[in-house]
Amino acid sequence: MSDSRFPLPVLGDEKSSASVEPEVVSAPQSEATTVPDHGYHKSYWRSLEQKLNPEKYKSLNAREFPPNYFDVPKGVDRREFIGLLGASMALAGLTACSEKPVEPILAYTKNPEHMVVGDPLHYATAWSLRGVGTGLLVTAREGRPVKVEGNPEHPVNKGSTGAYDQALTISLYDPKRGQHVRRTASATKPGDIVTASWRTLREQLVTQGAEWAKDGGEGLRFLMEPSSSPSGGDLREKVLKRFPKAKFYAHAQLNHDNAIQGAELAFGTALHPSYALEDADVVVALDADLLEPLPENLGATRGWGERRSELSKLNRVYAIESRLSITGASADQRLRLKPSEIEGFARALLAELGGSVAGLNGLSAQPGRTLSDTEQKWVKAIARDLAGKPSRSLVAVGETQPPVVHAIAYAINSALGNVGTTLQLHPVLTHEKYSSVGTWYPELKEDVDAGKVKALVITAWNPVYASPFDLDVAGLIKKVPLSIYLGSHDDETAKVATWYLPAQHTLETWGDTRAVDGTASIIQPLIRPLFDGQSEHDLLSAFLDAPEQTAYDRLRAFWSGKVGLGFDAKWETWLSTGLIDGQTVPAQRPALNARGLSQALATAPAQGSGVELAFVPDYRVFDGRFANVTWLQEMPDPITKLTWDNAAMMSPGMAKKLGVDRESVIAISVNGQTLEAPVLPVPGYADDFIALPVGYGRELFPSGLPLGGVLGNPVNGGTGFNAYALQTSAALGFVSGAQVKAAGKTYDLALTQDHWTMEGREVSFSQTLAEFKKEPAVEESRGPLPTLLAPVVYEGYQWAMGVDTNRCTGCSACVVACVAENNIPVVGKHQIHRFNREMHWMRIDRYFAGDENEPEVINQPMMCQHCEAAPCEYVCPVNATTTSDEGLNEMVYNRCIGTRYCSNNCPYKVRRFNYLHWNGEKPALEQMAMNPDVTVRARGVMEKCTYCVQRIERTRIKARTEGRPIKEGEIVTACQQACPTHAISFGTLSDQNSETLAWHKDERRYDVLHELNTRPRTAYLMRVTNPNPELA
Amino acid sequence: MALFNRWTNTVSRLSVVVLFGTPVVLISLLMLWVRTPYGTKQYREVLQPIQFDHRHHVSDEGIECRYCHTTVDKSPSAGIPSTTVCMSCHAQIWSKSPYLQMVREAYFTDRPIQWRRVHNLPDYVYFNHSIHVNKGVGCVTCHGRVDEMPAVNQVAPLTMGWCVECHRHPEPNLRPLEYITSMTWKPNGDPETVGAELAKKYNVHTRTSCTTCHR
Amino acid sequence: MADPHAATAAMDPLEPVPLIIGQYTDATLTQSLFGHVWAKPTKGWLIMFALSLMGTGILGISVVITLGWGIGTWGNTIPMGWAWGIVNFVWWVGIGHAGTLISAILFLFQQKWRTAINRFAEAMTIFAVMCAGLFPALHTGRPWFDYFLFPYPSDTLLWPQFKSPLTWDVFAVSTYFTVSLLFWYLGLIPDFAALRDASTNKARRLVYGMLSLGWRGSGRHWNDYKSAYLLLAGLATPLVLSVHTIVSFDFAVSLLPGWHTTIFPPYFVAGAVFSGFAMVVTWLVPARQFCGLKHVITLRHLENMNKIIMLTGMLVAYGYMMEHFIAWYSGNVPEWDQFYDRATGNFRAIYWTMMFCNVVLPQVYWFKKARTSIPIMFVVSILVNVGMWSERFVIFVISLHHSFLPSMFKDYVPTLVDVGLLVGTIGMFSMLMLLFLKFFPAIAVSEVKELNHELAHAHVRPEANPRQSGA
Repeated sequence: MSDSRFPLPVLGDEKSSASVEPEVVSAPQSEATTVPDHGYHKSYWRSLEQKLNPEKYKSLNAREFPPNYFDVPKGVDRREFIGLLGASMALAGLTACSEKPVEPILAYTKNPEHMVVGDPLHYATAWSLRGVGTGLLVTAREGRPVKVEGNPEHPVNKGSTGAYDQALTISLYDPKRGQHVRRTASATKPGDIVTASWRTLREQLVTQGAEWAKDGGEGLRFLMEPSSSPSGGDLREKVLKRFPKAKFYAHAQLNHDNAIQGAELAFGTALHPSYALEDADVVVALDADLLEPLPENLGATRGWGERRSELSKLNRVYAIESRLSITGASADQRLRLKPSEIEGFARALLAELGGSVAGLNGLSAQPGRTLSDTEQKWVKAIARDLAGKPSRSLVAVGETQPPVVHAIAYAINSALGNVGTTLQLHPVLTHEKYSSVGTWYPELKEDVDAGKVKALVITAWNPVYASPFDLDVAGLIKKVPLSIYLGSHDDETAKVATWYLPAQHTLETWGDTRAVDGTASIIQPLIRPLFDGQSEHDLLSAFLDAPEQTAYDRLRAFWSGKVGLGFDAKWETWLSTGLIDGQTVPAQRPALNARGLSQALATAPAQGSGVELAFVPDYRVFDGRFANVTWLQEMPDPITKLTWDNAAMMSPGMAKKLGVDRESVIAISVNGQTLEAPVLPVPGYADDFIALPVGYGRELFPSGLPLGGVLGNPVNGGTGFNAYALQTSAALGFVSGAQVKAAGKTYDLALTQDHWTMEGREVSFSQTLAEFKKEPAVEESRGPLPTLLAPVVYEGYQWAMGVDTNRCTGCSACVVACVAENNIPVVGKHQIHRFNREMHWMRIDRYFAGDENEPEVINQPMMCQHCEAAPCEYVCPVNATTTSDEGLNEMVYNRCIGTRYCSNNCPYKVRRFNYLHWNGEKPALEQMAMNPDVTVRARGVMEKCTYCVQRIERTRIKARTEGRPIKEGEIVTACQQACPTHAISFGTLSDQNSETLAWHKDERRYDVLHELNTRPRTAYLMRVTNPNPELA
Repeated sequence: MALFNRWTNTVSRLSVVVLFGTPVVLISLLMLWVRTPYGTKQYREVLQPIQFDHRHHVSDEGIECRYCHTTVDKSPSAGIPSTTVCMSCHAQIWSKSPYLQMVREAYFTDRPIQWRRVHNLPDYVYFNHSIHVNKGVGCVTCHGRVDEMPAVNQVAPLTMGWCVECHRHPEPNLRPLEYITSMTWKPNGDPETVGAELAKKYNVHTRTSCTTCHR
Repeated sequence: MADPHAATAAMDPLEPVPLIIGQYTDATLTQSLFGHVWAKPTKGWLIMFALSLMGTGILGISVVITLGWGIGTWGNTIPMGWAWGIVNFVWWVGIGHAGTLISAILFLFQQKWRTAINRFAEAMTIFAVMCAGLFPALHTGRPWFDYFLFPYPSDTLLWPQFKSPLTWDVFAVSTYFTVSLLFWYLGLIPDFAALRDASTNKARRLVYGMLSLGWRGSGRHWNDYKSAYLLLAGLATPLVLSVHTIVSFDFAVSLLPGWHTTIFPPYFVAGAVFSGFAMVVTWLVPARQFCGLKHVITLRHLENMNKIIMLTGMLVAYGYMMEHFIAWYSGNVPEWDQFYDRATGNFRAIYWTMMFCNVVLPQVYWFKKARTSIPIMFVVSILVNVGMWSERFVIFVISLHHSFLPSMFKDYVPTLVDVGLLVGTIGMFSMLMLLFLKFFPAIAVSEVKELNHELAHAHVRPEANPRQSGA
């Protein structure tokens, strides 16, 4: 089946693939040279040089691109090759009135099965972040993966995804990915590079393997990326069988260790928590970002969304946190504490509950400090709330909090009977229990210093960069005679390793992974490796004393071994559903180990003093591994709306005290290290506290992006600053006693939203449940208004959208999904900072209301409202934007002459203009990510959200050829599909039982700027919070 | 002596005519030109790398369109046959013919034949074959008598106006599905009435809003 | 020649300055008025011309950059879809108005004093409209598709959208340009003839001969000429009002706070005439000096124009007042914010410049001293145009920068290219004006002669008879 369902093409031998290159690359390549064979570059020229002096222009631009930049990867198969052609076709924008040369048509020589040219193919696969898997459904066009979506069949994410997942395609086509195997001549003299091949390395490993086997692999060390891959585990065992004395470690700078250690304290066994928020009436988040759309949270996020969907189901979320996370922003009530104060609060909560809840009274917990009155008030109120909801409440703790806080939470949850209901505890599925640097570095260092270590294999993501400054990982690696680094980019770690192997992208490789609950999925490739990359499994298998197998055979061999009879039939279903049956592990209900816990509680909590720093994951680049993913870099941070940089985020009060303002640079010193960072004051932050998002300040990508520029304004990213430079292995989460002073400099920050309040206008609504019951604020903002014109009567489908601001966490997965689906160009920091020219069709307006220390946050996803009486339409002199018979506001690129009048007259300002030839800069590789169903817009053309009309039309044609109406829910827009909380619905108002119609009739419905009577087809549901009256 | 001779009067009058006449003439010529076959690139025989003769394959051998253009009724693209399709016959027939050298080469070296595009719509136009074919618009309606073309050429102007006219009034261009690939089918009776019935039968519902073709 | 006003110094100060100072025969008039055409270009003229050429060069460069790289080279953003470019457009169109007003409306009103300045003003109109015309053409994202704006039977079966004010603009501005051009040229014919006859060398006679279209000055010619002139004057009169009315629709028709208001048409027209007259004064003052035209362009002319500047200035002020009042009276939050932001926001400097130049400054003309003082009127006329430019900026840019959704309140900073376009158009305008002054009859000689005869035949000094002298 595999061959039929996913025909692995026979790799055209080097000669043939080389010989077809010219046709393949002609279009993209010519974009850099002068006269393309086809493609819209024909009719335009990007600069005078290009027009008048091609050669000069070429030399001018040569600098912009790394060497052999436009080379198409070797060993392309026909499917990519048609794909590339497709890309160039799709790119071939708007050439209405230019003489087109005859285009070549390249048909397959042997038509792949299931392949219908012009129709997408969907493959179920998966990927894993830190060893936690997510089920994916990837769309491929003529052999190119172009869009990633969640696998609806997957029990955990049920089709939803986060921004990271959505950006997988562009990270696959990242021109800065490592492309060639490289080895330094000697470990001692890095710098003199000798290119090599995987083959030579493998042979070396095989021969040396025999050597190492003699002493049982005494000198072998493996530093792995956390992984839950079953076949990977099997490989490890095989390696260990051959080299019993070899050691495996895992490294992840952002990890679950504290939660797992907490479980060991509380239950005596290592367990990994996940949350079922759909059952939780009361949720207490202690510095926990439950709603951050990471693989392990997608289930919880969906559950939370369900509870916010109807007022009758409304839950109550308390967030006690230091920074303003998206969880805090979505919570009903927030209390801001410094990270170090959380433990005291947790202990107090435990003590308070000890009185009322059986099973906790044994435990005596001293806060270790005197709580403020507010805190005490909160403790009491929360305790009462929790006690009132046994088995339907939840206390969750953030990854950066010390184990004991986790243990306290576990204790409370198990005493309240939440374990097994709202709190799911699963055995740790990653092969190595722990992955924080402290768990492997000392031991490894000892061995290395003792000269024991002969070979070190690193597949963990960039440990040299992503590790505290006080540990010299680079030095450690350099000391090892043979160090092999398998990584996505030729990065900091690659520079010090003796061997660098480009890692295969998850969309290029065969493998398997498991989700939090153990659900296993097959990872199947969507495309042949673009560069000569290898997978972790390929590398490990080189250590076995066995003939080389393809990743595919290895995987099949492993699983058929597990299943035995009837494997082939199963394998087919696994591939088509993306799920391996019978792999889920039941949630456990361990008994509370009171003694262990009380011992832990006996030691008084550490007290923070002075300014505290927290090292937090960045919503865009996570721990830095997505640093060169342009879509994520340009995605505005959900809370701060910052793009392309990270910043030292602090409360406005603290900024005032320091006498600094947005964009002024401060010098932060702690543990003898000093770091300069631009300030970004954010409401709701704890005072004397600075949050430093990690993952920036990579020397590796000085210009951020390999894209070229216009008028010397390179489309590039800010480099940000490297927060790891202040981090010590002793305090990975947060550290206190930092010295902060203004550095007297400024640094530009590119924010997409400057005004953070609603300026007293009724733009977005929010009320507490009580207020709403008394008098809904939205009565005035919906329903028909008097008009002189007879309203148009619509027949047939009436496309409409609903947006529930009560469910929207602002996570911005939708924004990236929209970018991926609609070929939205990336414009770079300069264009955003200087000109506000970001091209996102969908933005999330985030307004702060109320006190700047305890702000209320309202997220309002804003895209074209598809007004029935659209102000943009009557002002366009050439009819380039019109209302369709089904109420869509259509934008016709090829008719648009770019007067921008429509944008001026759009009250929502959702239209975007191609001020420059954004797509003219696109390298061949990135063109492969283009969606051929959507026109690539040229310079000087207006564009905007189309309700994913390409999906509507495709579905319509499918339905009409089958002679049936379009079914409810058959059309899913990209943003709706991605949303983890289902805050967006799309459908036709003509269907009486369509969800969208129900939303339009909802009691919380309102129209933005209703008084203008534009009659938008996009209805909003207002935010209704459920705060605890005691704390009001 | 006079500054100007008599004849200069004529010159001045003429110059006035020229001054105002030229732009008018030029513009109207341009507008004419885009409507002529030169402007629409009609009736240009595009020579293919291989002398593939539709006349021979369609009329002599009576091979149906969909034998090669397999996806015409299920995909936006009609589909260019893969080399295997050619070889399915030409492995036996004409298997030594020098004309087919390139086909065999392509097949055995596994490199695609480079056909040359005849009907080239702008890239911002999203034409979908399947919906047209399934609603009774025959191949011949747009592509003409391919069975009589030694080298295929574009017979329809393929201008937006041409598309829109049919989308506004499709009836005369409809035919029963069983004759969809027929090159010779003629409606018995008034095409209007026949078409009207078919339109009802196939629930033909042509759309003229922009996003039907431009996305 | 010596300052002709010296002669009038002795006169009764209560009597207005005469329209033509001194006694002339046709011959002497012709000779004095064409003097500068025959004369070698002066050093001053050459320097001015060099400067204006440089300006034109800057324009060329800016245009090439704009076309080559796109509108992205301007400061425009989202939400500032229109900014500097459209400000310049409206400003230039406005400046054009004075010409048509003087030549058409004052003609119909039988204002004798117009005769000396109408030619000049008309020329200005045409050049100003040429500058203006550049911007709408350039500011589209894809200028090579601008022909979509014209209604022509296309093979796409598509037509322009006649609901859009931009489509109206196309017609309004092009009609305006055509009529102004004809009007101007018609007036020029007899004078070209005069030039032809007065020319000394063959080449000039040929050139002016062709330009004069065989004018022989026969009674029939004059008859046709007069009726044609009257006809065009009648045609041009409504255009004075229509053009800027329609330009103002571009904004009035939208729903943006600060744009969406009904008083724009009259308010824009007043503003246009205001800036137009200011520009005429700015140019007349040096022109009459350097071309030796003081005897026909007397202080009386200038004073009359200053009066009109004051009047229209007050109309504009009234417009401002109403705008602000209505904004407050509407009780509409965005409207209110808009005007509050204009006065207090980032662009307040420009707002207050506008207020000072357009409202406060013209009030000096209440005093005859100011009205008749060359230096004062020169400075004021320039500042008035600065003020009018600021007004356009305030209306267009500030309204966009502060519209409905607070999330989209964004700032605007122009780029060098923007500035280059403004400087460049000013350069081109000056260049054309200078060429016109040098090679064309800057004064409607025939009309002045006619006036001269009228005055002569009145037997009394015309200024004793207000009915005839007008103003």
